Amino acid sequence: MITNDWHRRLILLILILPTIHTGCRKDPADEKGMVLRQALLSKPQTLDSGNMSDVYSMMVGGDIYEPLYTYHYLKRPYELIPLSADGMPEVSEDHLTYTIKIKKGILFQDDPCFRGSKGREVTVHDYIFAFKRMANIKFINVNWSGWQNKIVGLDDFHEYTRQFKDEYSVDYSKEVDGLLALDDHTIQIKMVKPYPQFISALADICLSPVAQEAVNYYKDEINSHPVGTGPYRLNKWHKGSYLIVVRNNNWRGEKYPTEGEPGDAEEGLLDDAGRELPFVDAVYWTIFKQQQPAWLSFQKGLLDSKSIPKDNFKEAITSETGLSEEMRERNIRLVKFVDPSVFWIGFNMKDKVLGNNLPLRKAISLAIDRERFIDIFFNGHHVAAHGFIAPGRDSYDPEINKCGYSRYDPEQAKLLIKEAELICGDSIAPLKLNMPGSGTFFTQYGQFLQRSFEDVGLTLKVDYMDLPTYMEQTAKGKSQLFASSASAVSPDSLDVLGMFATKNFAPGSNLFFYSNSEFDKLYEEGEVMFPSDQRNELYRKMERMVMEDYPAVFLNHRVSYVLYHDWNRNVKPHAFSFGLTKYRKIDVEKRNKYKDLLRSIR
Amino acid sequence: MPAYIIRRLLYMIPIVFGVLLLTFLLFNVVGADQAVYRLAGNNPTPEILDDIRHELGYDKPLIFSIDSQFVTHVKKAVTFNFGKALDKEPIIDKLKNGVPYSLALTVPMFFGIVVTSVSLAILAAFYRGTWFDRIILLICVAGMSFPYLSYIIFGQYFIAYKYDLFQIYFSPQRSIWSNAALPILIGIVVGIGGNVRFYRTVMLDEINSGYIRTAFAKGLSTRVVLFKHLLKNAMIPIITNTVLTLPYLCLGSLLLESFFGIPGIGGITLDAIESRDFSVISTMTFIFSILFVIFNLISDVCYAFADPRISFD
Repeated sequence: MITNDWHRRLILLILILPTIHTGCRKDPADEKGMVLRQALLSKPQTLDSGNMSDVYSMMVGGDIYEPLYTYHYLKRPYELIPLSADGMPEVSEDHLTYTIKIKKGILFQDDPCFRGSKGREVTVHDYIFAFKRMANIKFINVNWSGWQNKIVGLDDFHEYTRQFKDEYSVDYSKEVDGLLALDDHTIQIKMVKPYPQFISALADICLSPVAQEAVNYYKDEINSHPVGTGPYRLNKWHKGSYLIVVRNNNWRGEKYPTEGEPGDAEEGLLDDAGRELPFVDAVYWTIFKQQQPAWLSFQKGLLDSKSIPKDNFKEAITSETGLSEEMRERNIRLVKFVDPSVFWIGFNMKDKVLGNNLPLRKAISLAIDRERFIDIFFNGHHVAAHGFIAPGRDSYDPEINKCGYSRYDPEQAKLLIKEAELICGDSIAPLKLNMPGSGTFFTQYGQFLQRSFEDVGLTLKVDYMDLPTYMEQTAKGKSQLFASSASAVSPDSLDVLGMFATKNFAPGSNLFFYSNSEFDKLYEEGEVMFPSDQRNELYRKMERMVMEDYPAVFLNHRVSYVLYHDWNRNVKPHAFSFGLTKYRKIDVEKRNKYKDLLRSIR
Repeated sequence: MPAYIIRRLLYMIPIVFGVLLLTFLLFNVVGADQAVYRLAGNNPTPEILDDIRHELGYDKPLIFSIDSQFVTHVKKAVTFNFGKALDKEPIIDKLKNGVPYSLALTVPMFFGIVVTSVSLAILAAFYRGTWFDRIILLICVAGMSFPYLSYIIFGQYFIAYKYDLFQIYFSPQRSIWSNAALPILIGIVVGIGGNVRFYRTVMLDEINSGYIRTAFAKGLSTRVVLFKHLLKNAMIPIITNTVLTLPYLCLGSLLLESFFGIPGIGGITLDAIESRDFSVISTMTFIFSILFVIFNLISDVCYAFADPRISFD
């Protein structure tokens, strides 16, 4: 007979298994060096500065590459300052020629692509190469569309590259009239027409200097072998899992800012003023595809900072006191900031039902209770959108809330629908909305909208789809209604205004196919205007002009909440800059004591 | 036997060709432009989109031409030169990086599930109708009733976070075994429910057979009867069930890899689907179809070894 020994052995085995495991492990929280541990909620697409466009690539790439300009870390409103440039550019009177000096002595990181594996000095030719490479048709560059028809001769270079077999056989010695090296440290850039956003565009990582040796040496593998000039260099990248960056010993050096905005000194953000950067020796970026493990890792002290997942919001934040008691006990700190962005439901103005029916579009806007939407989906912490220029941007209109564009009035909506039916000549057929996802958030979002439509007598069908299908359908004008959002990349609002210009019809940024000749005329004017009160007024006028036509229902602007442990120093969120790791500091001793703190709480 | 194996291998050709054609039509005809839009960045002009289509060869004839997209697609598959993913990384490198992690997760899970569930099934069948059998069945049914995700969330929260017995997420500073321990345990717990029930049914069919009674009558020990005679005669369904699971091992576990940050093939496939990386999806499908056909053949060959009554003729 089988004896009870079998059961005993099995139970023993199950009990022993975790003991063996826990007995031989080393806790990664017990770090001796100053290591920053950060979370990425998606994998970076590339670490090739030339083809970088997603936020996660830039979060890592910002520590490795250095463009000409950047935004001041502490000052608000945001202020552009030189990074690898030696001062701000000299601009000609006609605003068409920019002369920029670069700092001397900037070295690329040591890499086998260089002679003797020693990083060489950066010259302006490396910036010119970055421009030309972006224009290389064989390179298939995600950033090229933004640079078309901007720099004299660059579009010709783009056409010239068409004749070559592949990206690497292109002869880069061909001159581009608008990109001149006056000497090794001075570049002159000539524009086709005034481009007021040019300096902020030069703060984009995609225009960091690129060593041609590195491109020729690594070829396609340069995606995962970044060769930069920044404070850190890539040490290891296991795609889809983690990245480690470590100090770049060739970095030119920089000091912590000595000025900030009022209140920074009290917050301790100027305690390190004038000290040599960077503080942190290495950064571990872990890619979390799910929120739960990232949240638990943060709670356990394995991550130094973390945004708050929607489902954990009430655990972390209470409406009365801000941080919950549980977070306070753990010495966790909260920082919140306006993250300029806008979420909307867009109408396809080419659509037969919606395009010629202003009362219907207005009725849909009146049918949606934005406050309730924010309560349900963002725990009441976002801000209702009264327009599409987000707070935190230069030309945000603080008075726009008085215009009533975001009013919730279902009764008025019902009256407008009757008007809309007269225009249609029949009752309104069921409308169809394309939703860029099928996860819980999107399903609930769709249900909320369906309910709002139902309340005023409309029917909404929601088509939940993956992002590539959604992008293709919307860009081809096949969506009737579509849920979307945009985040700002600079304080200038021209990008969101551009979403309504006729010349930007999809596949450009005007996915609404909105067309208004008067708006287009003002947009042409605004495109060449430099920051001023006059331009802000023009932008605001254009915003209201669009709002009157209701090409979309603008719902909300994001307010970001970030938690960080008290050992994580010099934390100040930034809406437009990457490469902030160099300012961060870790109190290692405090971090190593966190385990004891957790134990005492338990 | 060699003739049988060669015949079966030849069957592979139309099957794999069919898979190649199907994946090609699915992604090149239905969804090719999605990758183009993704590569074009923000606000592309129609000319930029055309340029990208040209560079990627999407403007070539689809099927009926010597340099058609389908011919290129078949050539790549036949030569095992899968080319590059949209992020320009050679697909073969992606596989080389991902497979070890996936196998480190799925192989122990596989053996854990098979050994545990077969053993428990034998015991449940032997003690059929007793409290032991009922408890095992109850646990299995309960186990099957909970969604996979709840095990993961429970395990991660209680076992890893609250009780600190395992780690929450993949950490490069630790060995892969240490990283994979909790997901393996969860995988085994989830996997045994259905398997135990299936194997128990198989064992019950056999345990009432005359040869088992004869073996006991001859005075053989319970262990010998159960693990030598009963198990050997119940091998056919076990082989079918286990061998056909093997190809899936290489593909990793989508949910476990995603929640525990294991950088395996599951995550690579998911990323490829999300970004419409046709080359990667097609490679995965192609490799999986080959593995599936091969393991199907292996299971057929194993039948003959397990049961002398089965012949290759």
